[in-house]
Amino acid sequence: MGRDLATEAELVKLARALDTTTEGVAFARPLDHGDIRQLRERVVGALYDEHRMVFQRVATISRLLPTPINVRIALRAFSPLLAARVAGEMTPDRAAELANRMPVEYLAESCVHLDPRRAGPLISRIHSDRVLAVVTELVSRGEYITLGRLLDAATERIVGDVASMVSDEAMLRIGFYAESDTHLTRAVAALPSGRLRGVVRTALSGPADLRSAGLAMIGRLTDDRLRGQLAEYAAEAGDDTLTRVLHTALDDGAVAELLTAVAAMGAAAQQRVLTLPALEDQDLLVRLVDAAVRHGLVPRLSALVGQMDGDMLRRVAAAIAVKR
Amino acid sequence: MRNDVRNVLERWLGADVRAVAVLSDKDLEELRNALTAARNSQAKALAAASDEALRQMPALLRGGVAKILGR
Repeated sequence: MGRDLATEAELVKLARALDTTTEGVAFARPLDHGDIRQLRERVVGALYDEHRMVFQRVATISRLLPTPINVRIALRAFSPLLAARVAGEMTPDRAAELANRMPVEYLAESCVHLDPRRAGPLISRIHSDRVLAVVTELVSRGEYITLGRLLDAATERIVGDVASMVSDEAMLRIGFYAESDTHLTRAVAALPSGRLRGVVRTALSGPADLRSAGLAMIGRLTDDRLRGQLAEYAAEAGDDTLTRVLHTALDDGAVAELLTAVAAMGAAAQQRVLTLPALEDQDLLVRLVDAAVRHGLVPRLSALVGQMDGDMLRRVAAAIAVKR
Repeated sequence: MRNDVRNVLERWLGADVRAVAVLSDKDLEELRNALTAARNSQAKALAAASDEALRQMPALLRGGVAKILGR
């Protein structure tokens, strides 16, 4: 199976779940991203459930003590790891009551260890200014995997507040690890158009991994209008920038995302990218067609035929014929 | 050998995990090793955190909490 962005993101998340490196989860490379995700969810479940009874007992005891005493004991004696595991066994109301009295740094570290299956009800009960402070802290620590996971658990209001507060780069990196396409789309849709243009510009002008994150974001959006808007902003970039994006898509297995983005553009923007001088290079065109054939994307490529001139049509057809 | 590893993984992760059905013997072995290492490292981290919690706990509560934590 060839590399693709969704698989790469899932491998990173599986490595995090198993407390190892991406090389340490090379065994999962033959799997598609859906199977890696299922494996990761089961790994997370198995690890979090293993010591659950102990934390349930601690959570039960904590019910007997008033909140201020619980907070004092937790801050004095519990590491954020332990606190997160106990919080996962408390009722969300009780856990939020404690979280609302704890320092932001402590909460941020606890978030990293929080059982993702229990995060949603808890986060929705924590004061929004505190959630935003924790997000800021997690962004400053580069905890994008944790933030991507928490995106699903955040309320609409929090998503809107966070989206308007974090940098373009952070948005792209959090989006790369977001668990759900729907929640990612909701977060992107919360941005004003000026900001969206900035996110696209940041992706295009950044290093290769940021360009990949941008392509992944465009590919994952569930709203075609929004996808088209982002893709058209990208088409405004200069030849050099768009050529770099083309190479990134080929090198990082993001041809599907690239073709999805181009398909979502209006006719003028499509013409602009299809007349990119780099596409006059037949070797590069063959690589593009090869990737499209390998990933079953010929129909997506064919949808662009109407915007290709005669010469390009002939060259694309020749490249397809070679691959078949 | 393969069945042993598969049985262990199915017990830990559930019988319907597609990865367990499709990965090679070698890959399954590596998955089991990675999961075993993660379980051991988690147990160690939680034990260390529990010991530290007990050390910091007011003396009055220490005995009861130690019992709860199984220390």
